[in-house]
Amino acid sequence: MDMLESVKMAVKTLTANKMRSTLTMLGIIIGNASVITMVGVGQGAQRYASEQFESLGPNVLFIIPGSDDARSNSFDLPRNLTLEDAEAIANQVPSVEAVAAQLQTQQNVTYRNRTANTLVLGTTPEFTTVRSFDVERGRFFTDSDVQRNTRVAALGSELAEKLFGTANPIGEQIRIRNVSFQVIAVMQEKGAFLGNNQDDTVIIPLTTMSNRVTGNTSPYGTEVTVISATARDEASVNAAQFQISNLLRLRHKVTTQDDFVVRTQKDALTIVGNVTGALTLMLAAIAGISLFVGGIGIMNIMLVSVRERTQEIGLRKAIGASRQDILVQFIIEATILAAIGGVVGTAIGIGGVTLIGATTPLKAGVSTTAVILAVGVSGTIGLFFGVFPARQAAKLDPIVALRSA
Amino acid sequence: MTQPIIRLEDISKIYGSGNTEVRALLDVNLVVEPGEYCAIMGPSGSGKSTAMNVIGCLDRPTSGRYYLDGVDVAGLSDTELAHVRNRKIGFVFQQFHLLPQLTAMENVMLPMVYAGISYNERRQRAEEALTRVGLANRLSNKPTQLSGGQQQRVAIARAIVNRPVMLLADEPTGALDSQTTQEVMAIFAELNTSGITVVMVTHEPDVARLTRRIVWFRDGQVVHSHLAPSELSQTAVFS
Ligand SMILES: Nc1ncnc2c1ncn2[C@@H]1O[C@H](COP(=O)(O)OP(=O)(O)OP(=O)(O)O)[C@@H](O)[C@H]1O
Ligand SMILES: [Mg+2]
Repeated sequence: MDMLESVKMAVKTLTANKMRSTLTMLGIIIGNASVITMVGVGQGAQRYASEQFESLGPNVLFIIPGSDDARSNSFDLPRNLTLEDAEAIANQVPSVEAVAAQLQTQQNVTYRNRTANTLVLGTTPEFTTVRSFDVERGRFFTDSDVQRNTRVAALGSELAEKLFGTANPIGEQIRIRNVSFQVIAVMQEKGAFLGNNQDDTVIIPLTTMSNRVTGNTSPYGTEVTVISATARDEASVNAAQFQISNLLRLRHKVTTQDDFVVRTQKDALTIVGNVTGALTLMLAAIAGISLFVGGIGIMNIMLVSVRERTQEIGLRKAIGASRQDILVQFIIEATILAAIGGVVGTAIGIGGVTLIGATTPLKAGVSTTAVILAVGVSGTIGLFFGVFPARQAAKLDPIVALRSA
Repeated sequence: MTQPIIRLEDISKIYGSGNTEVRALLDVNLVVEPGEYCAIMGPSGSGKSTAMNVIGCLDRPTSGRYYLDGVDVAGLSDTELAHVRNRKIGFVFQQFHLLPQLTAMENVMLPMVYAGISYNERRQRAEEALTRVGLANRLSNKPTQLSGGQQQRVAIARAIVNRPVMLLADEPTGALDSQTTQEVMAIFAELNTSGITVVMVTHEPDVARLTRRIVWFRDGQVVHSHLAPSELSQTAVFS
């Protein structure tokens, strides 16, 4: 019996049992769709996070407070970096071009009767260079503003719109925690960084922040949340990392474990890659399990089908079907179910990935590997899980099969 | 001398063992010549179906030799047996055994699918066979859209479509009323006249009378074999 006949026969049987065929395929459809969607989402997250860090430029370094232990064991980082650390880095590390200390907190910002709860960022003028974040209108504050604790503010574009609408905010007074500030600049649109909307923010001099808003200044230093720095060029990033670490060790009198860490863009990319890579793998594994379960579903239904069709199998054998004919028939049925399920699932998966890509910042994309893998795997699963029931069918004794009524 | 189409030599079929042992067939010897039309009769449980299944290569005997058309069936592989069932034997069952999802036409085409015959030839031969059994106008009916007699006629068409040397029927009229029984028997007679060897199991003397030889089974053995009454009267006239 030739292959075309077998396929025709299988199609006939499958269409005669539409409900059952559809339900059998459902497992494979869901499995396939989820593999493709999950891998798409995982890789999208990976791409998104990488691009965020890449957008910072290759020269950027972050100095984050806390020892390795503290960072891995608690959410609340110790605040042992100070403005003075930042100044020391700027003055004493030759491979560093610019340093911006940052202190941030969430506060209510008010203009007349409008209030927005937003991120207040205290920093130094170098912030614009280090983070390549320029003003759209007005001027950014200067070193003298920082020295004199001036109450001036630069608004993120989105916050400016929230508070002022289309009106010009420059020169207006806003209140942050009941301290009034004069708006001197509106920043360029910057977009989100790792989920933080950088346009919904207000930037003020670090000293003003520390003295007036958070009230964290003490004779022992002005604490900061994070210090960003840029190296002179890409080649000196590693030198900068080494020099900053050494300087801070001296300043913090570190004898055992560092109470801070200096990360380069490359470090960050590696970490992001590891985390999102693991995430993708996990998502793929979960989806893979559902694909596997779909395969078992096929086997289950095929076994039921073999039992239900015992008489049919007996009859086919009585009129001349060989073992192989029966084996092939059932394997083809299983493979067709898996293949159609695979194609439909892939289509749904591609649709899902496209939708996610269009509606979220995740740069979700259809991974060709995932598609090939999912379709290949589901086809193989059909074959694999079809073989066992098919063998059961093929080895039925014609007379026993015919007699089972 | 022509070769017998069926030659059973000391065929036994034993089910189970020890206390539960059932001797369904015990040293059965039977010869059927080409072109014969013969009925197997006997009490229930006497081994008629068991014998038919062995003859139809659906079952293998426990011991003894079976020569089908001169070939020792014991030496054939499963695949070769499938081939024999496909080409040399047409089987008709009491319960018709048509596939419900297929039309009359497709049911009749099925043995030819396994014989590797082309689609066009399959269609043509299936139509011929169905015409022969009087169902030319029911080609695309599904089994559920046919009467019992019509279903059995489809089954007969399916049995003869591969041009077998013999037609085996296990109580083919067992599920039919007397009217349709006559119609079906007329078809068997016509097929036999055209040269096909026919062996059928039946409980009905009226059916057996329409054949030419009756073989009696009892307790797994052939106890008697004689010409059917109608044949008897004919031979009586000639002798
Ligand atoms: N698969 C089996 N396992 C055990 N015993 C069996 C099996 N098939 C048949 N038998 C036994 O073998 C004997 C002959 O059975 P068979 O079906 O050949 O009888 P039969 O002459 O066709 O009867 P009936 O007229 O009722 O159809 C019976 O005693 C039956 O119980
Ligand atoms: Mg019987």
